[in-house]
Amino acid sequence: MIGAGQVGSTVVEALHDEHELTVIDLDGSRLGPLSYRHDISTIEGNGATRSVLLEAGIKEAGLLIACTSRDEPNLIAAMLAKKLNPEVRAVVRATEVEYLEAWHERHLDVDLVVSSEIETAYAVSRTLGVPAARQTDVFAEGQVQIVEFDVEATAVDDAVIGRPLREARIPADSKVASIIRGDSAVVPRGDQSIEPGDRVIVIGSPRAAQEWSAIIAGDRPRLDDVVIYGAGRIGVAVAEHLLRQGIRVRMIESDRDRARLVAEKLPDARVFNATGLDPDFLERERIGQSRAAIFAMRDDAKNHYAATLARIHGVGFTIAIVHEPISVEVFERAGVNVVVNPRQLTAEELVRFAHDPRTQQVAMLEGDRYEVLDVTVRPESRLVNTRFRDLPMTGSLIGAIVREGKAIFPHGEDVLLPGDRVIVFTDARRASEVEQAL
Amino acid sequence: MISVARLRRAVRRETIGVDVGAALNLVGALVKYLSLAFLFPAAVALGYGESPWPFVAAGAITAAAGFGLELATRGKERVGVREGFLVVALTWACAAGFGCLPYLLAGESQLASPANAFFESMSGFTTTGSSVLTDIESLPRGLLMWRQFTQWLGGMGIIVLALAVLPRLRVGGRQLFESEVPGPEVERLAASIRETARRLWVVYIALTGTLAALLYGFAAAGVDDRMSLYDAVAHAFTTMPTGGFSPEAESLGAFGAATQWTVIVFMLVAGTNFALLYALLARGRARALLRDEELRVYLGLVVVAGFVIVAELLAEGILEGEAAVRHGLFQAVSILTTTGYASVDFNEWTALAAVAIVGLMFLGGSAGSTAGSIKVVRHLLIGKSLRRELDLAVHPEVVAPLRFSGRPVDEKTLRAVIAFVLLYTGLFAAGALALTIDAAIGDRAVSPFEAIAAAATTLGNVGPAFGFAGPFGSFEPFSDFSKAVMIVLMWLGRLEIVPVLVLFTRRYWRA
Repeated sequence: MIGAGQVGSTVVEALHDEHELTVIDLDGSRLGPLSYRHDISTIEGNGATRSVLLEAGIKEAGLLIACTSRDEPNLIAAMLAKKLNPEVRAVVRATEVEYLEAWHERHLDVDLVVSSEIETAYAVSRTLGVPAARQTDVFAEGQVQIVEFDVEATAVDDAVIGRPLREARIPADSKVASIIRGDSAVVPRGDQSIEPGDRVIVIGSPRAAQEWSAIIAGDRPRLDDVVIYGAGRIGVAVAEHLLRQGIRVRMIESDRDRARLVAEKLPDARVFNATGLDPDFLERERIGQSRAAIFAMRDDAKNHYAATLARIHGVGFTIAIVHEPISVEVFERAGVNVVVNPRQLTAEELVRFAHDPRTQQVAMLEGDRYEVLDVTVRPESRLVNTRFRDLPMTGSLIGAIVREGKAIFPHGEDVLLPGDRVIVFTDARRASEVEQAL
Repeated sequence: MISVARLRRAVRRETIGVDVGAALNLVGALVKYLSLAFLFPAAVALGYGESPWPFVAAGAITAAAGFGLELATRGKERVGVREGFLVVALTWACAAGFGCLPYLLAGESQLASPANAFFESMSGFTTTGSSVLTDIESLPRGLLMWRQFTQWLGGMGIIVLALAVLPRLRVGGRQLFESEVPGPEVERLAASIRETARRLWVVYIALTGTLAALLYGFAAAGVDDRMSLYDAVAHAFTTMPTGGFSPEAESLGAFGAATQWTVIVFMLVAGTNFALLYALLARGRARALLRDEELRVYLGLVVVAGFVIVAELLAEGILEGEAAVRHGLFQAVSILTTTGYASVDFNEWTALAAVAIVGLMFLGGSAGSTAGSIKVVRHLLIGKSLRRELDLAVHPEVVAPLRFSGRPVDEKTLRAVIAFVLLYTGLFAAGALALTIDAAIGDRAVSPFEAIAAAATTLGNVGPAFGFAGPFGSFEPFSDFSKAVMIVLMWLGRLEIVPVLVLFTRRYWRA
């Protein structure tokens, strides 16, 4: 492991029991406390150099986690590690979204790139992207969304509700994965229908998820106007994600040059050059009328103050992005609705990979009754080259395929190819069976 | 502004910050190469059994002057940014100056006065197309071809041509290039300016060749019996640079419908950004063309302008059916792209049509084309910036970069665009005023509308005006002073004002 900062120590905490860990950091003072608390070995030095990597035993290692706060040393360490030991799996933390994109297009030879910005964007979007949803998870870098809805008793869209699924006008690029009625689950065959009071699990594109929420929410107001304080990298990542879902985004940035840069980058967002702490400005721009505000400025204290002010002006839903773990409690006390800690999210993502490198993301639905798996299809899988209509009906469902970085929502005639990433919805008890079959 | 006396004093005190010697040296070199251009009309004259001597003599004088200037000054490996303005402005003045020698030497009475000859030459090189000739067809073939040829040279630019072929201009050409190619931002077609200049000229030559071949095809196939090889080449030479000179007294009105439709299409092409044409022709990228905002607005304007004029012609019963559509569209495209051909005498149309035509003189084609005037992109950016001003009045903190074809526009570029349009309208007003006053003093029959049209047409490098200077008329009746005013307007218009006007500021000359 390279990097013993906030992310690094969270990862160590989660992994030290089942793995033999060697932690490298430039700063010896961070390593000391860590090695007293957990049974790990430590090396003080630059992890992006050959000598240090060799000293840490890279030749015998199974996994390298490079999670310093700087992208380039992380990447160089991973590249060197891959050359020194081709067997090693390398996971890299990168803040720059460019690197993430390069990795998706297979221009970076590492096994996983985790971006705090993107993880944060998902987390924020999970909490407010789809309002009627009980739970939502995003997969494949936000291209695929799994949403669990409560169908309101007042829902009236009779093109979908109360109509057999084969006739229902289901939004394009989406599939019903399961219908939960009372205590039992209904396998969504063509003759079944969605009824008011049901709970449905849907897999689809973010846009389809929005359409579903409109169908199911009945007449509840739609979340369509969000204010983001701070146009730093996290703020921009969140904005991009929300804009992609058709949500109106306003951003407030106090640095003039940065505001201009972001305005150039995001043509659909409205960017203001203001502190966001000026009551006249808040009043003039009717910030209080937005449905949600996200606080993504660099300084926790400033976010805290701005959030309180925004609540005074009438913003109903506030989400704070924190930088210090200690701030979480402060924000919660102040009445902020959701607190997101990017470093925590990043660490969780890294740990998830360490558990099973092939499964990129695991989500649990309905407690632990269902799982959504993100699995890469092996070339020797017996399901390769089978048409979707011919796949065995087992109650598990392939909701989407990620092929060459793009999500496809398959139809009956499509076939599964080796190397496809599939997003599978399955009963938790059958999860390992599904993984093996793929 | 600086008076001559002050300038002289500044020079004496040696506080001048411009390397005039190096600039003149480069101008000399360019003028020297310009002398080669006279070989073409000389050959044409010989071919038609006319005397080639006016061209040979003009070539010799030009070459000698160029050599002399080069010898008298000391050159430099690299021209600076500052010297660039001087080089461009002087080169164009010299081109027009030496270009009028054949007119003077030919001993034609129509062009005997230096004012007339210089006017015709400046109108040629700047691709304006306004003419002082009263009886075009009486001129010898060689001289008429020289007139066409000056427009072809000036269209894509003499300096762009020099950048493409002269080894001397390998370095420091960017400034020269940007001063000459029209438009607020120059799109590069290649990594180097030299290669960009080459590609522009290749597209230009290819399109000219295609048009000439098409027109000659009409003659050979008997589609248009007025067309000949001479006319095909002559009109290709003045269509692609959006020039507008024609060896025919009735301009394009002398030819058939097929020729006129073909010329409409090629005028449209000439008013399109050559970077887009290059992408289409050399790389097959049609999508880039459709995605370009300026092109869409440009074509939209053509449709609207054409519709207005055609509707007016039909409503007033001036023309009917296909002829109304053809002539309406022809005039709209010809004026909007600043070509200046005419297929009928629109002088005799209604007041509404006349006002519409003068309005079109202020549009111009796309940036990076051979068209003159303000250009579509500048109108577009100004419109967008005004819309933003309204937004800012309500939301003072909003940061909204202007976008053009999806790309953000630099605030500096926008400022330059606004400054350009203000300068343009200012110069137009000053020019129109000067023409009106001069006419009043000289007691000439020039109506205010005619003065306005003449100023707009020369500053925009369009060509025809109204009244006696209409499409089939002549600028001859204007006084010498008025002609001088219009010569300056053409010069300013072709170089997009700034490179010329900076020469008249004190800050330009100071160290």
